[in-house]
Amino acid sequence: MRLVYFLSTLVLVSSTVLAQVDRSKAPAPKPAREIKIGEYQSFTLKNGLQVFVVENHKLPRLQVSIQLLHDPILEGDKAGYVSLAGDLIGTGTTSRSKSQLDEEVDFIGASLNTSSYSMYGSSLTKHSEKLLELFTDVLYHPAFRQEELDKLKTQTISGIAASKDDPEAIAANVRSMLIYGKDHPYGEIATEATVDAITIEDCQNYYQTYFKPNNAYLVMVGDISLKEAKRTAEKNFEVWQSGEVKPIKYDVPKQPEKTFVALVDRPASVQSIVNVAYPVNLEIGSDDAMKARVMNHILGGDFSSRLNQNLREKHGYTYGSGSQISSDRLVGRFTASASVRNEVTDSAVFEIMSELKRIMREPVSDNELKAAKASIAGSFGRSLEHPQTIASFAVNTARYNLPKDYYSSYLQRLDAVTIQDIQSIASKYIQPDHAYIEVVGKGSEVAEKLKQFGEVKYYDINAVEYEPKDSKPLPAGLTAEKVIDKYLSALGGRQKIEKVQTVKLTYKASAMGQELFMKIYKSPGKSLMEISNGGDFIFQKVLRNGDDVSMMVMGNKQEIDESEKERIKYESEVFPDLHLAGVKPWLISVDELDGDDVYVVEINFPKGTRKVDYYDVETGLKLRTENEVSTPEGPKRFPLTIDGYKEVQGIKFASKLIQQQGPMSLTFELQDVEVNPKLENSIFK
Amino acid sequence: MKSLRRTLFAVFAVATFVAFGQAPKIEFTEYDLSNGLHVILHQDNTTPIVAVSVLYHVGSKNEDAERTGFAHFFEHLLFEGSENIKRGEFDKYITNAGGTNNANTSNDRTFYYEILPSNQLELGLWLESERMMHAKIEPEGVETQREVVKEEKRQRMDNQPYGSILTEILKHAYTVHPYRWPTIGSLDHLNKATLEEFIDFYHTYYVPENATLSIAGDINIEEAKKSIDKYFKDIKRGSKPVPRPNVIEPPQTKEVRDVVFDNIQLPAVIEAYHMPEQGTDDAYALSMLSTLLSGGQSSRMYKALVDEQKKAYAVQAFPFASEDPGLYIIFGLSNIGVPVEELEEAMNAEITKVQKELISENEFQKIRNQIESDYVQGNSSMIGIAEQLADYHVYYGDANLINTELDRYKKITREDLQRVAKKYLVPENRVVLHYLPKSAQQKPGDTQLKSDN
Repeated sequence: MRLVYFLSTLVLVSSTVLAQVDRSKAPAPKPAREIKIGEYQSFTLKNGLQVFVVENHKLPRLQVSIQLLHDPILEGDKAGYVSLAGDLIGTGTTSRSKSQLDEEVDFIGASLNTSSYSMYGSSLTKHSEKLLELFTDVLYHPAFRQEELDKLKTQTISGIAASKDDPEAIAANVRSMLIYGKDHPYGEIATEATVDAITIEDCQNYYQTYFKPNNAYLVMVGDISLKEAKRTAEKNFEVWQSGEVKPIKYDVPKQPEKTFVALVDRPASVQSIVNVAYPVNLEIGSDDAMKARVMNHILGGDFSSRLNQNLREKHGYTYGSGSQISSDRLVGRFTASASVRNEVTDSAVFEIMSELKRIMREPVSDNELKAAKASIAGSFGRSLEHPQTIASFAVNTARYNLPKDYYSSYLQRLDAVTIQDIQSIASKYIQPDHAYIEVVGKGSEVAEKLKQFGEVKYYDINAVEYEPKDSKPLPAGLTAEKVIDKYLSALGGRQKIEKVQTVKLTYKASAMGQELFMKIYKSPGKSLMEISNGGDFIFQKVLRNGDDVSMMVMGNKQEIDESEKERIKYESEVFPDLHLAGVKPWLISVDELDGDDVYVVEINFPKGTRKVDYYDVETGLKLRTENEVSTPEGPKRFPLTIDGYKEVQGIKFASKLIQQQGPMSLTFELQDVEVNPKLENSIFK
Repeated sequence: MKSLRRTLFAVFAVATFVAFGQAPKIEFTEYDLSNGLHVILHQDNTTPIVAVSVLYHVGSKNEDAERTGFAHFFEHLLFEGSENIKRGEFDKYITNAGGTNNANTSNDRTFYYEILPSNQLELGLWLESERMMHAKIEPEGVETQREVVKEEKRQRMDNQPYGSILTEILKHAYTVHPYRWPTIGSLDHLNKATLEEFIDFYHTYYVPENATLSIAGDINIEEAKKSIDKYFKDIKRGSKPVPRPNVIEPPQTKEVRDVVFDNIQLPAVIEAYHMPEQGTDDAYALSMLSTLLSGGQSSRMYKALVDEQKKAYAVQAFPFASEDPGLYIIFGLSNIGVPVEELEEAMNAEITKVQKELISENEFQKIRNQIESDYVQGNSSMIGIAEQLADYHVYYGDANLINTELDRYKKITREDLQRVAKKYLVPENRVVLHYLPKSAQQKPGDTQLKSDN
């Protein structure tokens, strides 16, 4: 007993001794293991195809890819064809329809993709022979079927249509055009018209010109020996016929003489996308490129970077801010960006510009430099886990003529970057005085305050510059109430309108080959709106009866939140503008709408929703109304345009209503109006 | 002679390849510390990195129905610091060491990891042991993370097109099981919770006997064991058994149907069918069925709905598998102008086809090949291996399934696919949701009625 006790005490003691661990500070790192870059092999076939092989038997799989090396193409009035050609190549061969090809790829659990500048295939090693059969069939015998091109064109055009609504996509397009110009392949924008113009021949020509072995690298990564790789390459790729591929030269885009603001006016925006950008000549693999990468990491490379700390953590202007600097074989670029609320747009630009100037003027701290190096080195080290990284190192070394030890000495060169290097590289490449300050946002709220940063130029969503109409001053003494009064007079006058107790309206629209009928019944404190197919099928029904508001969609009851109920109730009055119950309208501006001068009146409902009405300055009639809805990109407005009025018993009613929704529009035409009909109470139940 | 040698070589090469055609075995060592912490170690010295992970067997299903969101909230809270790590420093230790880290929460478990240069293994162990031993749960950190979680919910669910899908599915599919709420839970519950409740949750679930430490990468097993001892051995067991929910969801008997309006462009159809828990034969069969329906461009639903009929923009079938009986989800995104009813009909037609006709040998072989390919290529990163090993241990009590799970798929027959389609993919066993654009809800009206959004 004693002995046991003694022993256990001893064990306890020794374990305590063992466990003497100082928890109060982080353990020191052990000596770092040298990071070794994996090996690759390279050889060239008779037809000029250069082959790279990364042998890695960890997994029984093989990845095969072709990378094309030609210069980017200026596409002109067929912008988008290069990308389409790349996709089209993968949609079937002369002997395999698309579905046959899909079937055979899936049958071996493989993947096979094509693009304008590459082809990629991968499968388990045991299926690699079949994979190569399919890969080379696609490479040598693409079918270029019209129906597949049509399918791709439709998808591309839908994408373009959707992106017109997307401020990020608009910003990217306009930014590219600004930095590179319309006559540079990086600055072109594909539109419906340019995509529509693309023909099968365009795609075929592209393929026939550039899919040549002397214009390509073949890369094999995975479970394959060098010997086997050679055999495979010879067997499958030596038959590939070479051809002449001419280099294409482009003028190097220049930075602007003087910084200016490029404003894309988007009246519906509640957030501005801000980009400070310009082209830079940073050669791939140069010493400058390495230093610039470290500099950019400190400026805007990650969460703890200066831009993010300033704009997000310190000022709370944005969810995130950052910057990028790229090296490229034609021309690189610098971009510093943030998405910010309308009212802080100028402040955000100011802070971005200040950070650009600060990194030029002041040396970075030792800690900042250390952290940036550690972070870059860490991600370099982690990337080596994937054998594809080694393949990309091999390809880059050959393609950009980098020193043989470029990647193996990467970490040493990173480590050698000094505080002085950062400052001198910042002075060389950070150009706050020769930048485009691109802002996609609501011009009427942000333009004026942006003038402090340079001239403000206006661009449309296709990056075409235009002269904005001078915004007209609001007439002195004019108020929203007066605008609404004029509108009511134009409708027929308060007197007549006040006598309308009930109303019944019928509209008709057609969509996707189907007729839609909308019925509206209104009575004091009650309303019903119903959209149906004219028969039993009711798409939507909105009912208000006193305090009760309900909505049914396809027979299902919908939940409506309080703020929506509030607006439905407001709008359900026979003429809501007559009494403006519980709301205060504001006259915002005089603007232009499809060529007409309009007064813009905003109504903010107490529970948070908002609507905006546009009244014709000349006739006083309402031309458009917009309801604001919250969406992923922030609040968004859904416009309803009124195209003409019809007079019934001396009162005007909207005769045509056009609802625009992304690329689709729906036109409702007035069929029938009854003023003061007898409406049974049962209608509203 | 020359050509004969060539042929021989080719034959030999093929033979070699077939032998290689097995997934390489993943070797690992596993053991328990005396405090109940389960340890799994996988050594691979190819690249000097190491993935350090801790899986806690606690997810949203362990939550009180009045305190939903706790498990996920902890995933945030436990980056706030510990007795020896100051607030806001947890991440800095990792980035300054050239590492990266993250965490995620499901309805069944919470998973934390760091990927570090391998000479920093002890840093990872220190950070994770601090988190397990004495994390700081203080008002300031709780307040901060409440705000962050609010933003996360806004960004990932409220502001994300289709972001509410899972929430809506769960709400409609479960009546009593804690799977009925999403892991993000209720902000209201988090607001109401007291500091003591958070502390109690920590002491209940963040205990070594409820955790699995899984490490993969450039380590030496014996040295790693010593380091693990050093940092984890002194962590005390919890004072009470770890509670496990044992709620059984009663079978659904009638189809559930609803319409949801969201900030989206393209309408969607979602069908969710109740399915058995993961690891069962039927769950494996259903998983194969999803490859048949939507794995690759030649799959039945993709080919029929996207390529041929052009009714769907995208379509996907997948088992949302979990520890307790889960859901089999089929999701279709309609092309512009295609009514959701039409899309749903076309989706259902494919299910009916599987129920009525036994699939061909050839098509079955295709699915088996696809599954084999995915499985073999699945474990290509250290963090992936660490996570898989931990999952297999916690859910099935057999970490070696990382090497043998494919055999379970191989047991499934064509008849099984037809049988599970008939058994589970029936209307009374499902929830059907139609997602429609909010702008469709805001129907056109005259200016006076313009109304309801």
